[in-house]
Amino acid sequence: MSSVAMEWTKLLPLHKTSRTVASAVALAVTVSGLLSLAMAANAGQMSQDARARFDSIGIALQGVNAAVLVVGVFGVLCVTREYATGMITTTFLAQPSRLRVLAAKLGTHAAVAGVAAALTCAASYAIGQAVLGTGGLSVGWGAHRVGPALAGGAIYLVLSCAWGVGIGALTRSSSSGITWLASLLVVAPVIVQILPASVLHVVGPWLPSQIGMSATAGHGIPNSFGPWTGLAVLAGYVLLTLAAGAWRMVRTDP
Amino acid sequence: MIEVRGLTKRFRGRTAVEDLTFSVRPGTVTGFLGPNGSGKTTTARMILGLTQPDAGTATVGGRCYRDLPHPLREIGALINPGAVNPSRSALDHLRWLAAANKIPAARAETALAQVGLDAVADRRVGAFSLGMRQRLGIAAALIGDPAVLLLDEPINGLDPEGIRWIRIFMQSLAAEGRTVLVSSHLMSEMALTASELVVIGRGRLVAAESVASFTARVDSSVRVRTPQLDALAAALTTAGATVWREDGALDVVGIAIEQIGAVAAQIGAVLYELSPQQASLEEAFMHLTSAECEYVVERAAALVRENELVDEVAA
Repeated sequence: MSSVAMEWTKLLPLHKTSRTVASAVALAVTVSGLLSLAMAANAGQMSQDARARFDSIGIALQGVNAAVLVVGVFGVLCVTREYATGMITTTFLAQPSRLRVLAAKLGTHAAVAGVAAALTCAASYAIGQAVLGTGGLSVGWGAHRVGPALAGGAIYLVLSCAWGVGIGALTRSSSSGITWLASLLVVAPVIVQILPASVLHVVGPWLPSQIGMSATAGHGIPNSFGPWTGLAVLAGYVLLTLAAGAWRMVRTDP
Repeated sequence: MIEVRGLTKRFRGRTAVEDLTFSVRPGTVTGFLGPNGSGKTTTARMILGLTQPDAGTATVGGRCYRDLPHPLREIGALINPGAVNPSRSALDHLRWLAAANKIPAARAETALAQVGLDAVADRRVGAFSLGMRQRLGIAAALIGDPAVLLLDEPINGLDPEGIRWIRIFMQSLAAEGRTVLVSSHLMSEMALTASELVVIGRGRLVAAESVASFTARVDSSVRVRTPQLDALAAALTTAGATVWREDGALDVVGIAIEQIGAVAAQIGAVLYELSPQQASLEEAFMHLTSAECEYVVERAAALVRENELVDEVAA
């Protein structure tokens, strides 16, 4: 399809695209590595019980929660940068169907995010497990739930990129789009901590960050949806935001 | 061929374009004239499907822009030369446009060569001057080798050499049989470039005709100098003329120069001067789009009615 070819040609020559992938991976590897290092250093003081409860998979995949901002911002900027430069009018001249433009942006950027997500999950898990291994805390690649956790982390990242695209289409401004994204992913979990425990129990599972934690965990974590239920909830947020963004893109002229 | 039928657009109750109807024929450069804020850009954006009209239609080669499967191959547009990604090279900018409409990638180089930017094809667009961006915008308009071109204020930011270049370039595109609609508020430039005109004022059509007949509309103005200004002005108004006073003289339209002489003789006015005035495009434009705009439209309508009566009588 030619609108996909258009968005793809826009992405290809940009060093930003490869930088996005590289920085997502680098950030995730750093976070996973450091966190695993801290855990491995304390491994000696851990009780037998604590070792049994220790989530080796979840800790190794913690980097995903850092990379999520990179791919989310990548999604936001793919729409808002064109509105900022006015290039969106040129895009609409080349492809007057605005829904196709949005779909093509979503498809191409989700594909790049998919590559970034696969590399991020694999690399941070590999580093995390290697470092945890020094404390005898690694479970390797063959353990129960490694596959689903890696897949869940990747899906979480791709969905966050798609969410960014929707937020970008809705806000049309890089600064407010990124603010919204960061608020939802990073600030919201901090804010809800001040709520009374009874309210936190109700709200907590619905937080995107909690969904990400649950998706990458090695075993069920308290006060959250199951990994797949959580991702389905996140997909619901993404679809709603994309629908609102599409509506604004079609209804309001640039 | 661009056809605009009854095009109307309101922004929050304010009318930007009102019941606009005109068509642009192939083979000539058509100037789209109007003061700032008269609705030129809104009309251009409606032709290009960027703004949804409240009423009416605008078609390119018989189809609405949004129904064109590969619009860049049908109509090339320059609407906002700043609308590029500054971190991209000129060639990359044209390549994604080509990819969007299944245009051979080699057209990107051809279009850059056509506007004289082939030497800077790989340079970042962000480092381009305003004039170079205009040229890049024109290259983007040409990428699909379209039969119709719509250029909104293409000479903004160009130096005299660039203006000369674009004038000759537009005329050569028209000579190839393309439809060229170029909007501007610079009359003198349009007088040199365009042979047909579409003139709008306050979103309404003022004129759609050749440059020659447009300037002829106010050619009928006659300058009269006399010491008996008031008396002659009153007599001429009674005779059906419209009279402006300008530093000790009268500018008269609406009646023939012979008739003005006869009226002056009747009231015994001494004439120092009685001369037909050659109006420039600029003067014609000012007359027709300023306060007199309504009057002229009414008068044009009256002329049409007269002609119809004559036709009926002849039949």
